[in-house]
Amino acid sequence: MRITYVAISLVAALLLPFGQAAGQAQKSDTHEHDSAAIVRNADGTITYGGEYRFVPPPSPWELIPGNESSRFVFGFYRKDPGKVQLESTFFAYDEEPYGYSLNIEDRSREFLKRFFWDSFVKVTVLEKKKVSVLGAEGLALTLEGKDPVAGQKVRSKVIFGKRGARVVAFYIRQWRLIDNNYDLSAFETFDRFVASLRFVHKSFYEEL
Amino acid sequence: MEGHQRNLYLYERFNARVAGVSRDDVTTLKYWADDLGLTFPLLSNVSGWLGIIFDVLPGNQPVFDRRTVIIDKNGIVRYVRDGSPDYKDILLFLKKLNSGEITP
Repeated sequence: MRITYVAISLVAALLLPFGQAAGQAQKSDTHEHDSAAIVRNADGTITYGGEYRFVPPPSPWELIPGNESSRFVFGFYRKDPGKVQLESTFFAYDEEPYGYSLNIEDRSREFLKRFFWDSFVKVTVLEKKKVSVLGAEGLALTLEGKDPVAGQKVRSKVIFGKRGARVVAFYIRQWRLIDNNYDLSAFETFDRFVASLRFVHKSFYEEL
Repeated sequence: MEGHQRNLYLYERFNARVAGVSRDDVTTLKYWADDLGLTFPLLSNVSGWLGIIFDVLPGNQPVFDRRTVIIDKNGIVRYVRDGSPDYKDILLFLKKLNSGEITP
């Protein structure tokens, strides 16, 4: 019986022919939402894509819908004062952050291997602490990256939490010319957004 | 590939196993798998004969086209999708296959 069980337990196998390992970009899990599916509620919150409810940041923050190639479900962008387009702030909710582990600590290490990997900045973790997020314990990392050659720097905060079994993340990135100051009030706006986000219903993975 | 690694616990739930097939050599695949932390098998098929079997061998190119294939326990191909994997579609299909909703 045991042998029979093993034989029937393997219901399917996936085979994945793929191109050169290092040469092809990977598609993230689908983050497509109809950008028109934004409902403004009487209490000042927004329901996005029928799935996420949160307090939006005030103007001039602009809602950026995610798509199948983006690394976020949705986010908010703001051009900051400054002479160059670089000086801006973006924060987002990411349902499939880099990495794969279901453990937050492990996932944060995997995430850091690839976050900013195409930006040529040397990233330092300024602070790492446990936080309460999405109704449970999460992990917050404050980061700074510098590119002295290009004369740029970036300050970032990443908050990892759980949605069901899976790890999700919120992140903010603020770019500046290397001699300019950060605007830390944007990080307070980010924290308020994170604290306000609720899921309207269970995720695809929780309902699977 | 990272998406599949993320979903291994769900493939386990649906009694499925995953493997990747590439024309890269073993050394390249090992480096790549280590870098991404992949724990499922990556098969090196430098000669490309698996590409002929799965019809993913474009002419005059040294790489396979991307395709996801699901083979059931009887060896029957039940699902074929080209391009980058649609992870949610794959999971929904495996769930149906595992529950017996999909039959030959």
